[in-house]
Amino acid sequence: MGTKRNEMADNATTRSQVYALLTIVFRAEPSEAFLKELQGPRFSEALSELGVDLGSEYHAKTKVENCQGLAVEFTRLFLGPGQHISAHESVFAELDGGFGGHWGAQTAEVKKFIEATGMEYASDFNGLPDHISVELEFMQKLAEWELEKWANDDDENAEYCLSVQKKFIEEHLLKWVPQFCSEVIDKADQPFYREMAGITVDFLEFDRILINKSLSSSVPS
Amino acid sequence: MSKFNRRKFVKLAAVSSAAVAVGAGNTQSALAGTPILQAGGRDFSPTTRKERKAIPTACWGCVTRDAMIGYVEDGRLMKLEGHPDSIRTLGKLCAKGQAGVNQVYFPDRILYPMQRVGKRGEHKWKRISWDEALDTIAAKLKPLRDAGTPELFCYHYGRHKASQAATMYDFMAAYGTGTIGNHTSICEGSKWVGQESLWGGMYDNWDYDKTDFVLNFGSNQFEAHTNHIPTSQRLIRAMVDRGVPLYTFDVRLSNTAAKSTQWVPIKPGTDGLVMLSMINVIMNEGLFRRDHFKFMRVTADHHASTNEKIAAVKAAVARFTPEFAEQESGVPAATIKTIARGFATANSACLLTYRGAVMHYHGADQERAAMLLSAITNNLDRPGGRVMGVGAGWKAPSSKKAKVQKALHIKDGFPGEAAFPTHHVSQSLLPMIKDGRAGRPEVYWFSCHNPAYVYGDNNGIADLMKDEELMPFIITSNIVYDESSALADIILPDVTYLERWDWEDMVSANQIAEFYIRQPLVKPLGESRCQGDVWPDLAKRIGIELAFKDKEDYVRQSCNMTPGVMEAGGFEYMKKHGVWHDKNARPNYGFYEAKVDVSGNGVILDEKTGTYWNWKKAGVASEAEAKAKGYLGSKGAKDAYVAQDIGGTAYLAYPPKTKFMKSGLLDFYSDNFASKGFPAFPTYTPVPEHVKMAKDDLILTTYKIAVHTHSRTAHCKWLTEIKHDNPAWINTKTAQDRGIANGDKIKVSSSVGEMTTTAHVTEGVMPGVIAISYHLGRRHSGIYGSGNSDPISGGAASDPDAKNMWWKKHGNHPNVIVPNASDPISGAMRWMDTVVKVAKV
Repeated sequence: MGTKRNEMADNATTRSQVYALLTIVFRAEPSEAFLKELQGPRFSEALSELGVDLGSEYHAKTKVENCQGLAVEFTRLFLGPGQHISAHESVFAELDGGFGGHWGAQTAEVKKFIEATGMEYASDFNGLPDHISVELEFMQKLAEWELEKWANDDDENAEYCLSVQKKFIEEHLLKWVPQFCSEVIDKADQPFYREMAGITVDFLEFDRILINKSLSSSVPS
Repeated sequence: MSKFNRRKFVKLAAVSSAAVAVGAGNTQSALAGTPILQAGGRDFSPTTRKERKAIPTACWGCVTRDAMIGYVEDGRLMKLEGHPDSIRTLGKLCAKGQAGVNQVYFPDRILYPMQRVGKRGEHKWKRISWDEALDTIAAKLKPLRDAGTPELFCYHYGRHKASQAATMYDFMAAYGTGTIGNHTSICEGSKWVGQESLWGGMYDNWDYDKTDFVLNFGSNQFEAHTNHIPTSQRLIRAMVDRGVPLYTFDVRLSNTAAKSTQWVPIKPGTDGLVMLSMINVIMNEGLFRRDHFKFMRVTADHHASTNEKIAAVKAAVARFTPEFAEQESGVPAATIKTIARGFATANSACLLTYRGAVMHYHGADQERAAMLLSAITNNLDRPGGRVMGVGAGWKAPSSKKAKVQKALHIKDGFPGEAAFPTHHVSQSLLPMIKDGRAGRPEVYWFSCHNPAYVYGDNNGIADLMKDEELMPFIITSNIVYDESSALADIILPDVTYLERWDWEDMVSANQIAEFYIRQPLVKPLGESRCQGDVWPDLAKRIGIELAFKDKEDYVRQSCNMTPGVMEAGGFEYMKKHGVWHDKNARPNYGFYEAKVDVSGNGVILDEKTGTYWNWKKAGVASEAEAKAKGYLGSKGAKDAYVAQDIGGTAYLAYPPKTKFMKSGLLDFYSDNFASKGFPAFPTYTPVPEHVKMAKDDLILTTYKIAVHTHSRTAHCKWLTEIKHDNPAWINTKTAQDRGIANGDKIKVSSSVGEMTTTAHVTEGVMPGVIAISYHLGRRHSGIYGSGNSDPISGGAASDPDAKNMWWKKHGNHPNVIVPNASDPISGAMRWMDTVVKVAKV
C-alpha cells in the first residue's frame, strides 16, 4: 500500500472511530463502563486538548452518580415526556416544504439512502430511521468499508465510498445536526451533553473538509 | 474556529476506540449488514421514487369511529380519507378524523417507557426498557393477586371501545379485578339509564333517511354528535333534498342551531318540561297515535286498556301546560304548541336528545320524557323515527377467568349518590379514593384518559394524584404528556390508533350492522406498544395465560369466528377491504311486534305482569315456586324473559336486556324508579341549585365544538389552529347588567373555585347563562395545546408551524369551577347545573 493510500486508510480508521464514539453518545444513556473510560486520563487529556471541560462536578461524582444523572439528563433532553430536543433529521431539516415532525419526507430519504447502500435496519432496532445516532453509525460503517477497500488496494471503490460519504454528510448530517447541537448546547444542564454536542458539530465540519480534500487528491496507482 | 486539527483528531480517535469497545456493549446497533456499494444496493424509482399504498382502517378521533382509508408513502402516513365502501360513513370523514395524521408525528410524542425519578409533578424522568417497566408493574400486581386482593388494582379508562375494551376486560377478568372505572358518566350516562329503564336497551338512532320531522333537544348534531358523520350527513340530506324541518332547543346558538329551521333558546334544565308540555298539547288535541300504547305501561297496572292508558297519560301531564313550560323554560307557549303539532302530525318524526337535555339533575328522567313523546306519536323503532341502534356483533376469544373476582366499591359513587349507576359514576372514583372508606387501590392505571383534566374540580383531582400516601402507584399509557401523566410513576408509550389493530362495532345510521376493522397504517413509532400487545406480555409475568398472543391475533381470531365475516373470507378479507356488511340484510323496524312461540319447556305466564318467562332457564327449583314468587320476585327471571302477553298475543315486545328488572312493556311507569323514591312517571323536577339562585347568579353550561374532543386533540396543530380559544358566551343584556363589554376579562366563580376568562358578548345565548366549551385551557399536552414551553423548549419548537403559531391564546378550562355533582338517578355528571357568579375583572 502506498503512502497516500496509507494516509487515506488511516483517515478512514480514525474517522470511523470518532463516528462510533458519537454514535454511542447519542444512541442511549451512557453505561458505567463507558463513563469509566471517558473519565480515564487518556480520554480526559484528548478532551482537554479539544478545549472540552466536563466540569469539576463531573469528575468528582462516582460513575454510578454520573450514570444516573446523565440518564435523567438524556431522557429530559432527547426523549421527554413532553417537550424535548427530538434527535431526528425530519424534525429539523426541510424537504419539500415540510419539517418539524417525526417520520417526515427526510426520514424516508435517509432510509432509502442507507438501504440503497445494501444496509438494512436491524430488526430489533426500535428507533426511527433518521435518528442522529443512526446517521452517525452509517458514516462509521461507510468509513469502515472504505478502509477495507484501501487495504485491498481497491482505490476505485474506496474513492466511490468517499463520494457517498460526502453526499451523505452534506445532504443530511450537516443539514440539521449543527442546529440540533446548538439546541443541546443551549438546553443542557450538565456539561457532558453540551460538550459532546460541541465536539459533534466541530467534527462534522472537520470531516466534511477532510473528505473533500481526500477526494480532490489523487491516489498514485 | 474549529477545535479540530489533524493531530487532535487522530488523538481523539485513538482514545475513542477504547471507549467504543466498552460503550458498545450496551448499545444496540441500528444497522445490520455491510455496505455493498458496487452491487448498487436496492433501487428506487428515479422519477417519483415513491410508492403510495391505500390501507383500510378506522378512526378513533371520537366515539363515532369512522371507517377510513390511510395513504402511506415510504412508511409515512400522508393522508386520511373516509372509506368509500362504508355504509355508515358513505366515504365521509370529519376534521378531527383527517387531522389524525397529527396524532402520529407530533414532535412531543412519548416514544419510550419512562419512570419518575423526581417528585410527582416535578417533570423528572428516566427512560426505562419495556422489560423494566413490565417487571416493575408485575411486581406490584402479582402479590396483590396472589394475596387474594386483585381488587386493589384499579384500571380507569377514557375512550375504550370494541376490541380495545374487550382485550382489556379479558385481561382484567383473567387477573381478577373488577375495580374498573370508565368515563361514561361524564359523557352520556343519564341518557342510557333513561332508555334502559324503558325499552331495555340503549343507543337510540335517528332514521333521518326516512324521517319527515326532527326535534332536537340539546344535541350539537352537526358539530359533535356521538355518531357524528354517519348521522349528520343524513340529516343535512333530509333537510336539503326533502325539506325536512329541524327544530333545535338549545341554550346556545350552536352551529347546529344556526343550521336549523328554528333555534329555540331554552333555559338549562327545562328540556324535559318542554317535552312534557308538548305531550300535554298532543294528548289534549287528540294528535296522539294509539298504535304504541299497547306496548306501554303508564300506571302501576300492567293490564290497563289503551283507553285507560291514554287517560292516565293525559292526567299525568295535565299540569305541564305550554304556559307553565313557558314560565319555567323561556320558550313561548305558542312555539311549543306549533312544534308539538308538527311533530305529532308528521308521517314520521325523530326526537334527538343529548347532553344539553340530559346532563342535569334528574337528567335520566328528561330522557324518559323524550321516549314518551316518541311513543305516543308511534315513532319508536318505526321508519323515520327514533330507532334502536344496530351495531356489529363480533365473536371473540376469551381467556380463563381468575377464580377470585373482586372489586372495590368505588366506581358507582358514594352511598346514596346514584340509584341506578349502570354506567358507573366515574367522576366520583377519585374522590372515593380520597375518602378511603370503600378502600383504596394500591395500583391505579389510567389509559386514554386524563382524570386531572376531564372531571370537575380539576385542582382537587390533581392534588389527590400528587399524594403518594393516598395513591401509592400510578401507571398510565399515553402518547402525549398531559395534565395527568405528569403525575404518574410510570408512563408507557401507547401507540396511536393509526398504529394498531382492532375490530369495531359502532352503531349504523341505516339499521344495518357494519363490521369493520382498524389496522396499522405505519409501524409504531419508537418503542410505543399497543395495550392489546402488552396484556399478554404482562399476563405471562404474573403467571396468567391469555387466549391471544397480541392484538393482531385477537382480531384475526375474531374475524375468523364471527358469522358473516368468517364466510366472507375472515381476517384476510377484512385486511384487504376493511368493512363488511350483509348485502342481503334489510333494515329491521318494529322488533317489538315479533310474535313469539311460548310453548317451550318451562315457559309460564306471569299473571301479574303478563310476562312469559322460562322458570327452568331462570334456575328456579320448581314451577310451583316460580309461580309463587312470580316473575318480578324470582332471581334470574330477567334473563329468562320470553315474551309479553298483549291482548292474548305473545309479542317479543321490549325484553329487559339491561340491569333493570321489568316486564316486556315500555316502563313509563317504573317500579324501579318508584322503589328508590323517584317519580315513577316522567315528570319535571327543577334543578335544586337553580331554584335557590340569587338574583345575580348565572348558570354555567359547557359544550363541545366540531374540531376537538374533550382532551385528546389539543396537541393536533391543524385542529388547534382552527380552535384555540374558548371565551365565555354571555348574553348582551346579562353582560350589560354587570358592566361587561365584549372582550372584557371576567371572573367566574363557583362553590369549588374561580377562573378568569374573556367575555364573548352575544345574542346567541340565553340570558342568565354563561357558556364555555371544555376542550381548551391546557397546562400540558404539547406546545399547540398549552402554549407552554416547559419542561424545556427544543425540538418541538423546531416545527415551522410552531414558529407560525399566530395565536397567543390557549383558552381556559371551565372544569376547575365545575363541582363533581351527580344526577341522583343515573350518577351522570351534572355538567349543566353549576351556579356561578360573574364579574368584570
